[in-house]
Amino acid sequence: MEIYLPIAEMSVHWLIVLAMGFGVGFLSGVFGIGGGFLMTPLLIFYGIPPGVAVATTASQVSGVTFSGVLAHWKRGSLDFKMGTVMMASGLIGTAAGVFLFGVLRRMGQSEFSVSASYVILLGSVGVIMLNESIRTWRAAWEGRSVSGRRPGQHNWIHGLPFKVRFRQSRLYISVIPPVVLGFVVGVLSAIMGVGGAFLMVPVMIYMLRMPTNVVVGTSMFQVLIVTSAATILHAVNYFSVDIVLALVLIVGGVFGVQYGVRVGAKLRGEQLRFFLALLVLAVAARLFYEMVARPADLYSLTAVMP
Amino acid sequence: MRNLALAALVLFAAPASAEENLVSGLSQDVVQITSNYTGTDLTVFGAVEQPPAGGIGDIVVVVRGPQAMMTVRRKDRIAGIWINDARARLVLPSYYFIASTRPLDGIASHETLGRYELGLANLHADPEVSDGDPAPYVAALVRAEARKGLYRQSFGSVEMLSATLFRVHVPVPATVPRGSYNVEVYLFRDGAVISAQSTPLYVDQTGFERRLFDFAHGWPFFYGLSTVLMALFLGWASTLFFRKR
Repeated sequence: MEIYLPIAEMSVHWLIVLAMGFGVGFLSGVFGIGGGFLMTPLLIFYGIPPGVAVATTASQVSGVTFSGVLAHWKRGSLDFKMGTVMMASGLIGTAAGVFLFGVLRRMGQSEFSVSASYVILLGSVGVIMLNESIRTWRAAWEGRSVSGRRPGQHNWIHGLPFKVRFRQSRLYISVIPPVVLGFVVGVLSAIMGVGGAFLMVPVMIYMLRMPTNVVVGTSMFQVLIVTSAATILHAVNYFSVDIVLALVLIVGGVFGVQYGVRVGAKLRGEQLRFFLALLVLAVAARLFYEMVARPADLYSLTAVMP
Repeated sequence: MRNLALAALVLFAAPASAEENLVSGLSQDVVQITSNYTGTDLTVFGAVEQPPAGGIGDIVVVVRGPQAMMTVRRKDRIAGIWINDARARLVLPSYYFIASTRPLDGIASHETLGRYELGLANLHADPEVSDGDPAPYVAALVRAEARKGLYRQSFGSVEMLSATLFRVHVPVPATVPRGSYNVEVYLFRDGAVISAQSTPLYVDQTGFERRLFDFAHGWPFFYGLSTVLMALFLGWASTLFFRKR
């Protein structure tokens, strides 16, 4: 049965949308990511206007993430102090990102900049993750052990001022890196409709050296706040959130997550990172191909907002 | 200009040929978009009363959607990447359907067709272009709208049910924009408009969809907030659902 989307002003087949929500939710459950970086391109591919796709994906990510946040909160694997610091700068970043999105849209470059940021970010994160997972895999094969976290080691981050103690993360570091990270993720969330976990998790693990068990819960908390804010800001500024589309996506998504988590629990960490890296690189490669291949129609049409 | 020409015609030309009146009607004058709307079909029907012995002439039926300002952008290859470079702003109807008894160039001259904006090649786009010639932009827009089923022309699709009675099916696709439309019926003979009629048609969302749309535009903050709360509720509800099993 087709349903009519009042904001996108088009009708879609609800089963297809439900399946997209489920599929992306499943992958989020497996890999512990929000899945926005898959959802937005998928919706655009299905014919949803890019603005509506970005804004509605943000609401979908916040719904899917909320159940995860609850679970981590109960388990105590959520660093509220770190989360709050990143949230504060994340909200500023989101506001800046929504403003930037409007400027790019008026310039006619929103589509290009969304694609370009996807290619650059997904490409580099994917390569780093692939490299790291293969190294770990090979080391395990050869019977060596690699330790991800070396507590005694210091890097340049430890030389920065304004040090704060984050008890839950067992860290005593400067607030500057979390603030910058939160801001960047906020901007990305607004212009790409993504939560930014795929960027945040590696930075928290490898640069901030947070313990892995706290990383996922804390990044989910940050993603939840930032995507919720992005949803509201898009709704206020561009009227581009489609609540009917969001409803179907979230219902599919929350079920997908539950099944995904079960599958994800059976996979080993480096296997997870290997498959996630492949997925991320595949999306980046596809978007890159679209940017360099000659488009079928050189002209594209955008209706000016009434 | 086209509207003026049409108004003048309806006012002055029609009474002059009162003995052969063109009458027409619509199967429905409101298209309501509901939650399971997937497009519909309208029927425009009409008759020419007391036609001359030589036959009624040619019938042209046009349906125009509300005028919309649209931006067409052209991609150029810059450093190996296709990127939007030049643009044109055009003002054109958001929906356009034309049907006639035979190809338009056999019915009237190019000037006459242009005056009434009949045919996809004869639309006045009022272009404002960032570089050079507007023609490829207008052509691209027509192409894009035709792909979406919003622009359509079909010659010979006016069904003659009898010597004076005609009927046209107008497809209204699911992506049709809301607003007030105009259905125009023209009677041509010897390259000139003998009579014309214009009937309004409204396309609007109704019921739940309408309320959501008004909510989103009237109280955007609360609309966004409710979307978020709905998302959070569904996320929370799913954990309950899965705990029980």
